[in-house]
Amino acid sequence: MMNGKRWIWGCLRFAAACWIIQLYMGDSSQAAQAAQAKKPPIPLQELVDRARPGEVVRLKAGDYAGPVVIGKKLVLQGEDGTLLVQDSRGPAITVKAEGVEVRGLAIRQKAEGEGSAAVLVRADKAVLRELDIRTRGSGILLREASGGRIEDNVITWDRAGARLSLGQKGNGIDLYGSPDNRMIRNEIRNMKDGIYLENSRSLTIENNRIYGSRYGIHCMYIDGTRIAGNRGESNFTGAMVMGVKDIVLSDNVFTKQSQNVHAQGILLYDVRTSLVERNRVDGNRVGIYLERSSDNELRDNAVYRNFIGIQFADAERNRIHGNDFVANVIEAEAAQSGENRIERNYWDSFQGLDLNGDGFSETEYAMNPFYKNLISRTPAFQLFFQSPGMTFLSDMVEEDRKRWARDASPSMHLLHPDLDPALEPEQDPVAEQRERIPEKTFMLIIASMLFAGSLVVIIYSRGAKS
Amino acid sequence: MTDLLQVAKKELKIGFRNPWAYSFLLLFSVFGLSLLLVNSQNRIGGYSGITGSMLNLILYLLPLMALFLGSFSLTAEKEEGSWQLLSTYPLGTVPFLLGKYAGLAIVLLTILSFGYGLMGLVTVLLGKAFEINTYLLFFFFSCGLVLLYLALALWIGALSKNRWQAMTISVMVWFFTVIGWTTLLVAVLGLLPYLWIKPVLTVLTLLNPAEFVRLFVVVKLGGGSVLGPEYYQWVGWIQKPGGSLLFALLFIVWAACTIFGVCRIWERGRTRG
Repeated sequence: MMNGKRWIWGCLRFAAACWIIQLYMGDSSQAAQAAQAKKPPIPLQELVDRARPGEVVRLKAGDYAGPVVIGKKLVLQGEDGTLLVQDSRGPAITVKAEGVEVRGLAIRQKAEGEGSAAVLVRADKAVLRELDIRTRGSGILLREASGGRIEDNVITWDRAGARLSLGQKGNGIDLYGSPDNRMIRNEIRNMKDGIYLENSRSLTIENNRIYGSRYGIHCMYIDGTRIAGNRGESNFTGAMVMGVKDIVLSDNVFTKQSQNVHAQGILLYDVRTSLVERNRVDGNRVGIYLERSSDNELRDNAVYRNFIGIQFADAERNRIHGNDFVANVIEAEAAQSGENRIERNYWDSFQGLDLNGDGFSETEYAMNPFYKNLISRTPAFQLFFQSPGMTFLSDMVEEDRKRWARDASPSMHLLHPDLDPALEPEQDPVAEQRERIPEKTFMLIIASMLFAGSLVVIIYSRGAKS
Repeated sequence: MTDLLQVAKKELKIGFRNPWAYSFLLLFSVFGLSLLLVNSQNRIGGYSGITGSMLNLILYLLPLMALFLGSFSLTAEKEEGSWQLLSTYPLGTVPFLLGKYAGLAIVLLTILSFGYGLMGLVTVLLGKAFEINTYLLFFFFSCGLVLLYLALALWIGALSKNRWQAMTISVMVWFFTVIGWTTLLVAVLGLLPYLWIKPVLTVLTLLNPAEFVRLFVVVKLGGGSVLGPEYYQWVGWIQKPGGSLLFALLFIVWAACTIFGVCRIWERGRTRG
């Protein structure tokens, strides 16, 4: 018996040893193969120097070494597996000629520091498309470059590098003095600012997605720009717009910007005559923040589940109408602000009175700041949000009513049900499973069970003999 | 155990002979239908101002209902002398009170089921939107609230001599825990050193069934963010599946402690009275 056991053990050990040896051999032979395949990277500059102006340089899959300076008009076209690696400081690709196009490359910028960009453009009409950039510095820099197109790129922070705070990283896309550029469908992750725009006019920023960065879109002095359809998640601030005139900020979605004490969905500072419409700000610390801004129009936005829905500081002559404010802890807050016209918005905590049936209440909604003042002194009391006692208490304290933020004719109904975050398909992965039993049938079954059960109990207890 | 069942059965029978039960049943059904109307304006999923005010309406009515029915049932025992009679039998205090609790709980839950059942049927018939999740959560919220307040009600019933006293104390408890709670706490906690406020508030919240049940439902409805950064951790705990378990545990501990207290009071009355 003992012998038999020992024999089995021996066999098992032998098998295990064989397996391990084989693993090791397999591994080493694979490594050898890889080493064979891994040729030294081709210096890209040589290829570019050899190309004639106007030529299309096709880069086969494989490793290429930066840096490269493109000083003539040409197209640099990569394919799946084309990788440009830059180990030294300075940009991997510098574009110095008009009309250069770079597309389909993967770029690894391995040197740290803001100046170490993956791509630096110093010429007009550049096209950067489908680049996959991983950087330890900046992503794409445009300096005095106009009329360019930056489309469908992915820019991420290289986590393998040193662990830096957000402020020490570079920006995803960074423009200075570069008017008339278009940035479309880029995806940017974990950079300082997703898209940083300074001293540039007439830009188009559309359908970009920015996650985990400091500011999603950061604008300084960019007049006449259009920012539309972008999406920011878990950034400190979704869109920080400063010192601009005549911009359009529309159809953007900024959610879950609440980790930082200064986090906002949309921040407007020193913004004039601009239009903010159909944006969705959901789950931020402050939904929309306006400071020193005047003559703007904010309409048809969906402001959901923010700590403060909309906040004004020193802002005047703005028009805020047709917005939905839902489940915000503090709906609106105004400090030292002159006349802002707030009207025809929907406020979920307000029950209005519509006499003429036009869908808007004839009684105004004055927002009692009692709760706000209470929790700004003692944040722990936020536990009392909309508790029954709180409603009583704030109704009792109605001092200084003239200075409350107010909506002259609030809407009776939700104005933009289509912007409700609950409608987002990705937020509800179980929806598909639920479809198996229609909700109505399920409801019917449960309701009838409850109703019938209660009747049975009543009848039984009435009829039971003692 | 058979004693317990007997008492519960008797309680159930008396409960549905009691006109109070039917008036509450009617009141709650009408109330449920009006909740439905309130909610029909609400096209937003999850937590919103409207679900918040619906929760508040429930918070006003249900605790009062549970307190009245529960405390009157115990004082009636004293006033009508049936307890004196029962005392002559070998019936323990614990089975007696647990039986009472069980019987009354069934009466109250029946009222709730009737109201919610009606509400659900009307919802289905009229095709008004009431999310099934919200509906079920509200139902469980109501049940939890009623069961906890029922335990409190037994306490009140054990302490009071007659119905009038029971009613006075019930209204007092109701007012204190539901309406005056915020005002009182804001006033009293304001006097404490700043760093004490949150821990003391936390402990007091765990003591008030109306508050902790409400907060649980608010978080489960996805409105956790309204509690702000101070309570992110709580919200994290509650939203995990373990959160419901933790809540159930808190619920059981709370109810058990209260009923244990009632037993002590009742036992003392038995040996001395």
